[in-house]
Amino acid sequence: MSDKRFLNGYDVVLEACEDAEATQMFGYPITPTTEILSGWINKSLQNKNLHCLQTEDEVAAGFAVCGAVMAGAKAFTATAGPGTVLMQDALSMAEGMRLPFVALIGQRGGPSSGTVIYSQQEVNLSIHGGNGEGMRIVLSPSNLEELYSLTRKVFNYAYKYRFPSILLTDGYLLKTRQSFSLPETKIENQKLLALVDETSQKNIRNIYTLEKELMSELEKNKQDFEEMSKEIVEFEIYSSDVAIDDVGNLVIAHGIVGAVAKEAVDELNKQNKKVALFRPVSLSPFPKDELNKLAQKIKNIFVCESSLGQLRDLVKQNLEYEVKISGIFKPAVGVEAEEIVDLVLSNK
Amino acid sequence: MKFKILLAGDGGQGVQTIAKIVSECFFAKNFEVISIPNYGLEQRGGVSLSFIQVSDKQIFYPKFAKADFLLLMSEQARERTSEHVSADTEIIDFKNYQEIILQNKISRSSLNIFFLGVVAKFLSEKKLISKDDIFVIFEKKLASKKNWEENKQVFEIGFLI
Repeated sequence: MSDKRFLNGYDVVLEACEDAEATQMFGYPITPTTEILSGWINKSLQNKNLHCLQTEDEVAAGFAVCGAVMAGAKAFTATAGPGTVLMQDALSMAEGMRLPFVALIGQRGGPSSGTVIYSQQEVNLSIHGGNGEGMRIVLSPSNLEELYSLTRKVFNYAYKYRFPSILLTDGYLLKTRQSFSLPETKIENQKLLALVDETSQKNIRNIYTLEKELMSELEKNKQDFEEMSKEIVEFEIYSSDVAIDDVGNLVIAHGIVGAVAKEAVDELNKQNKKVALFRPVSLSPFPKDELNKLAQKIKNIFVCESSLGQLRDLVKQNLEYEVKISGIFKPAVGVEAEEIVDLVLSNK
Repeated sequence: MKFKILLAGDGGQGVQTIAKIVSECFFAKNFEVISIPNYGLEQRGGVSLSFIQVSDKQIFYPKFAKADFLLLMSEQARERTSEHVSADTEIIDFKNYQEIILQNKISRSSLNIFFLGVVAKFLSEKKLISKDDIFVIFEKKLASKKNWEENKQVFEIGFLI
């Protein structure tokens, strides 16, 4: 019997949160993540072990997550756009205190309330939104299967490595309804360990008297983040029938644009154009080594995204070779496969 | 094979109900199907859209530029969907059904079910899915709701036109 089900993206996310053994959600309703909040409320009405609190705003929701995880609960929040902005204070505190903070972010058009469904303009905000050094895990799913598996991963990474972990998606993916199957390989949950043993005391600090003390703490955190990066960095290289060593042209896209770019690559390969897709799944940490391995042999990079260059800037920041970069940059607007095909074909 | 369907009407007209029934029907018949609503601020009088794609292969992206088939249920939906219409787009336009709707005294609350019947006829003529395929899902979704008998009749009227 087929285990395929016809589900919305947010149903898949909710199932992943439950399978991750999360017990508490704190949030404030905002499109396109409202269904995650209302869905968790429904779950909590049916299962007395699950709890949900709609707070007065996203500031309170963020700090409620900080408090809950310090008290030993597996908690999370979901937000979007201006809500992600308001949550930066709590995210920054979680980054400083190394709290296992899980946030599910549905990007919407900005600035401010902008548009309500779709964008890719919260990349910078998710990675670097706080007044720290951007030591956050940010994963970008491209389809329903990844919505599930990466939601499971953000929980596991948050609890294993103790950095804020963000699932960065959008309303297109959350509201998409499509067939979905659970992964064949069972995903184990990271064991929930108390931040502070009940028999001891620990001062988890978010403020320091001495500047050098803070600096040494940040250096240690940076070292931890870099060591962790080798283990969790994730990407996909896609090409239908061209040897990767021989591609010449690289399309770079993430999230749902990464999904549409596969259609474009298929079409371009059919037309004998040597092109592949490089899709960073982890935007932070960024798959720098893997990009540079490809970049040595690449003549052109085409960055395609629904923002004015937030992914392009990440690529530039990580690229160690001189490669011509152009692309499609459409803030808050989806990218069609035909546009990517036209861009690559028109490149001389 | 890939078939792209765009359903469009005013917020509250029941476009998303049609979309749910049609897309679940394709899923039940083992098609690859992907659907996405687009309803920004419809409670403030906007247009409600639903993009549905059906294929025998995996579909990566829920939106599309040009529709193969468009259902228009309101005047403001016409303007909103114009960018998705090509010379090849087949359109069911509410304007062409005004007289039948009046003659059969179809209520506003059943209008979407009338158009579900019209859509069922179109898709069965295309040999994509049959009337019975759609009726099974329609019944599963709405038989326990009020006005079921009226909705059943209205569906038949839409299909028989």
